[in-house]
Amino acid sequence: MIGTAHQIVLPVVLPLLAAFLLPLVGRLHVWPARLLGQIVGVLHLAVVAYLWTLVGGGETIVSALGGFAPPLGIVLYADRLSVLFLLVLSVGILLFWPRREHGGTRADTLTLLLLGGGSGLVLSGDLFNIFVFYEIVAVASYGLAASGGNAAGFGAALRYLLLSALGSALALLGIALVYGAAGTLNLADLSVLAPERLSGPMGLAAFLLLVLGFGVKAELFPVNTWVPEVYTAAPTRVTAILAGVVSKLSMVVILRLLVLIFADPGAQTLLLVLGLAGVIAGELAAFRAPDLNRTFAFSSIAQLGLVAVAFSIPDDLGIAAGIAVAVHHAVVKPGLFVIAGHWTGPIERLGGAARVSRPAAIAFVLLSLSIIGIPPFPGFWVKLLLLGEAFAAVDPVYALAGAVILAATVVEAAYLFRAAALMWEPPEGDNRPPAAFPLARLAPTLVLTLLILLAMGAVSPLGEALEAMAAEVGDAAIYVGNVLPGRI
Amino acid sequence: MKGYGRAVAATIFLIGLGTLLAALFAALPFGQAPMQVGQATAVVALPETGATNIVSAILLAYRGLDTLGEVTILFVAATAAGMVLSGAGRGEAQGAPAGFILRVASGLLFPFLLALGAFIVVHGHLTPGGGFQGGAILAAAFFIPLLANPASPLNHTVAMVIEGVSGAAFIAIGAAALFGGEAFLTPLFGTGTPGELFSAGSLPLLYLAVGLKVGSELAGLMARVAGEGGRA
Repeated sequence: MIGTAHQIVLPVVLPLLAAFLLPLVGRLHVWPARLLGQIVGVLHLAVVAYLWTLVGGGETIVSALGGFAPPLGIVLYADRLSVLFLLVLSVGILLFWPRREHGGTRADTLTLLLLGGGSGLVLSGDLFNIFVFYEIVAVASYGLAASGGNAAGFGAALRYLLLSALGSALALLGIALVYGAAGTLNLADLSVLAPERLSGPMGLAAFLLLVLGFGVKAELFPVNTWVPEVYTAAPTRVTAILAGVVSKLSMVVILRLLVLIFADPGAQTLLLVLGLAGVIAGELAAFRAPDLNRTFAFSSIAQLGLVAVAFSIPDDLGIAAGIAVAVHHAVVKPGLFVIAGHWTGPIERLGGAARVSRPAAIAFVLLSLSIIGIPPFPGFWVKLLLLGEAFAAVDPVYALAGAVILAATVVEAAYLFRAAALMWEPPEGDNRPPAAFPLARLAPTLVLTLLILLAMGAVSPLGEALEAMAAEVGDAAIYVGNVLPGRI
Repeated sequence: MKGYGRAVAATIFLIGLGTLLAALFAALPFGQAPMQVGQATAVVALPETGATNIVSAILLAYRGLDTLGEVTILFVAATAAGMVLSGAGRGEAQGAPAGFILRVASGLLFPFLLALGAFIVVHGHLTPGGGFQGGAILAAAFFIPLLANPASPLNHTVAMVIEGVSGAAFIAIGAAALFGGEAFLTPLFGTGTPGELFSAGSLPLLYLAVGLKVGSELAGLMARVAGEGGRA
């Protein structure tokens, strides 16, 4: 009944509709409201799975909202990249749906808004519309960061809000520059006009402002100072969603901007430098971090730095490597944050953890091995792809980046092995071993570990699918041809 | 020493940002911006949508998803603020009532503000104004009596029902087009005769939903903040 192309708006508006009605239902009783939220989460996943059947073979869906043809109207654009990250968003949010946090059903409402806003962020083909959805995601994140109901959470959320507001102002300034110079906001239209109107220092400045703005959520250096505090103070489930999913959605936006509008060496070098700074700062800080939560927060900064480095390589395989790092991190890191959220306190007190809860310790080791990049785990293939691209790139600066990434991997291995080894040792002195891990709390980690083990058996089909996806994403002409047929 | 270092860093950052912006603005061709989309929209907006207020045509038709997003941002901000404020516990406003003149005047103002707000919302597709502006006036109509007499609390349940239903109505009107095989937010009912109250298809309905949602949301948020402030 509903036309095939126009359904791509459903992942955006279904959660928003439910979010508007949730407080009303919650007024009557709490549990129907919570049930409604989770049902809509499952529906979202079903719609996304259906969309994958439409675009999985390389087709694209474009819907001009309101029936107004671009560039005057707003378009939604779904290709394999957007639907893949919709899937990551949907699964991540379902796995980490908030428990009954303080504030009644507000956490459920905010989660739905995060789901709808995040879907809009990856689907939208209009620069200002992307900013609107980015703001929805941002404000929902502050609320969720404070949803633990403790003073530390409020403080962290407030500082997160201040930095994020600065970032949004910078992004808006960047959008104003783009609009002032090109006179349009549609990504495809901008892609056509960019070589003429957005080259040179003006375009580079606009890209810098946009990257700093969207980089706040993507944990890019230097606008990532909120990360360790929020990830430590927020409820574990919120941390898992912010680190695993939300950060990746912002990277997708940055990738689209880079490919479509700012495909010049200046912008690529800028992203490379910011990414490398994130890798170095993140891994060194993670090495010195006192507890698991902070370790993984800093390691998350480093991993997103890797994504930025990969995207900056001017080649389709660089994009493939970046998507691979992003998806791999989205699977592994939330699982590790669940463990860190239960075994808080100094790392030295982890002694005896493996005796208390063997499944948690085993999952920790498996996920850590994958994130370091030990064969045969998927993380190894991901890093191999990235390093291969870095050393094969024409510009020698990428070889230097590859060397930095190798050195960072050694640091990463050192702190993860140290923590893992401690778990299998008896508790030090008269310390008590960490608290036992209830299996229900560990369940998301076990699911994600299973995913990693399954991916081990499917490395070559996954790799081929990734290359096909990257070739589609990396070609601006495909995007422009789909949105504005006749302009190329 | 730490505070001193921060001040220096902030100064350097501001000087850098200022220099960057000054250089950019100097490079922008002032007064001759390439208004591609703006000019094209100005030509086609009236025939395509039937709304004589072109700003409304852009907000509701060409960029309708942005407007839904902006309404949502207000909603998410109110929800997040509620999350933070509910940590302080709920309490009724305890401020003293205002003087006689203010109390009487606020009662007298109420119907006029209500009428003005409703007029601006309903005529949004014809004259300057619309859902956001009219909604803010509607919110003021309910908030001024509350300021004059803090003992008369706003009916939060009613505000919440209006807010939820009007937000859902915006999406329902947009989604109705999906069932006809059209894209989300495609205007319904044709364009009508431009300039008449009943024209521009479903755009006035969307503005009505925006006006009610913004009004109830702002009133609820202001009442909540005033209540917490009065208690503290």
